[in-house]
Amino acid sequence: MKAEQVVQLIKDYVKDVKMTNERRVTVITDKQRYREALSTLKANDILHLSTITGVDLGEEIAVIYHIDCGGPLLNLKLFLPKKASSLLSVTDIFPGAVLYERDLMEMLGVEVENHPDPRRLFLPEDWPEGNYPLLKEAKK
Amino acid sequence: MSFVVPIGPQHPALEEPEHFRIEVKGEEIVDVDIRLGYVHRGIEEALSKRTYMHGLFLAQRVCGICPVSHSLSFLRAVEEIAGIECPDRARYIRTIGAELERIHSHLLFAGIAAHEIGFTTLFMLFWRDRELVLDLREMLWGNRVHSSETTIGGVRWDIRPNQVPKVLRNLAVLEKEVKHYIDVVASDRTILARCANVGVLTKQMARELCAVGPTARASGVDWDLRRDDPYAAYGEVPFKVITERDGDVLAKILVRLREVLESIRIIRRALDAMPSGPLRAEFKGRVQEGEATGRVEANRGELLYYVLSKGGEKPERVRIRTPTYANIPTVKPMLVGGTIAEVPIVLASIDPCFSCTDRITVVDRSTGKTQAITKAELRGPHR
Repeated sequence: MKAEQVVQLIKDYVKDVKMTNERRVTVITDKQRYREALSTLKANDILHLSTITGVDLGEEIAVIYHIDCGGPLLNLKLFLPKKASSLLSVTDIFPGAVLYERDLMEMLGVEVENHPDPRRLFLPEDWPEGNYPLLKEAKK
Repeated sequence: MSFVVPIGPQHPALEEPEHFRIEVKGEEIVDVDIRLGYVHRGIEEALSKRTYMHGLFLAQRVCGICPVSHSLSFLRAVEEIAGIECPDRARYIRTIGAELERIHSHLLFAGIAAHEIGFTTLFMLFWRDRELVLDLREMLWGNRVHSSETTIGGVRWDIRPNQVPKVLRNLAVLEKEVKHYIDVVASDRTILARCANVGVLTKQMARELCAVGPTARASGVDWDLRRDDPYAAYGEVPFKVITERDGDVLAKILVRLREVLESIRIIRRALDAMPSGPLRAEFKGRVQEGEATGRVEANRGELLYYVLSKGGEKPERVRIRTPTYANIPTVKPMLVGGTIAEVPIVLASIDPCFSCTDRITVVDRSTGKTQAITKAELRGPHR
């Protein structure tokens, strides 16, 4: 699928479309619409979620879903306030997201609701609660 | 009544520390749980504390087998933000470096697979021939694995004309041997008994669980970033994407061996078509504000780097998604329904690289108790 076609598919759910080249598209969405955008992609046989990235931007946390659209890579980005960073799990849409969401929870403290298995992934069991290693205020 | 068999974090069948909790009912596996993180080294955080040039060397050390893939993925993202165009000759040298690495990694895997099914002779032969490639890497770049031939904006060493004949000679020997191994693997009764219809991953499961690389291609998923999202010189060097249909351990071995033959062809074509010219573009050490996602077809599949720059000498954030990390969810469907004796070879079949990703316990389902097996119990069956 071409990058333009991908953008066309999800245009109702995103804003600020940025095409760096014919294989890289970055779009901004929000907490209300990201699941609809992802479901639309899935309905069009786009099944590969490469990974989920979380970035601490200071006041906000950016969550980026990197989705392979058969050539072009779509970066679907949304921003969450750091104080109340929570979103719904996408494992019902992309089952391959299960580990990436666990990663996002333990490393950046984003609460992923409805996750089927919200245990720790990389961090040891005795890691202190509430200390998220990739947040700027993490205790080193 | 079921029972939990823990494998790892320290286990003779695992090259690296991970913990697998395998729930069995008699011989049959009914559930699997994996615990990662025993070798988590905080590299993502470390990368944001280092300059880009320093980070490149750290990125190469994420994995002890595929440093070239890691450097190419990191470079793809950094060069995109910095707006650096890699010279043509350097792109070809990068491709040759990546393919030499793929050959040695796939042969390393094939050796381990032979070892896991107790076929030690074949293991020795695979690893003997792997030396042909490691020798080439040593000749070209001074090191067998961590050659660090890439740099931001190009490569650090040229391939000299007097080095080419030896490359072609070793590849010719290797090609003949690998063709023979493909015949052996596809026809030997011991291998077929241990690998055919074992650890099957269906195409649908592979796609749903977002499997990558040879693990997905062995299940018939026709997807290779060298063709679908080309980098280095891949868009200019023709090659075939290898797929198999069955999704079992046998298919996973065959896909990789056939890919070795393709890699040999890619290297020959790249050596032939390599233009002359400069080896590197200038990199001033600072990168402007921006973000980019670099990905390459590493030996085990799609390897993704996301780099965010706020301008300056150091990245703000680097995210790494290694191929084994993506393939971990596929282990469960491959193991469940099989027998406990299949565990080592099925685990080996995704060619896991746990240091990249960053563990199996056996669970008693009726009592819910977990039992860790002692070292003596583990060693018992081998005596």
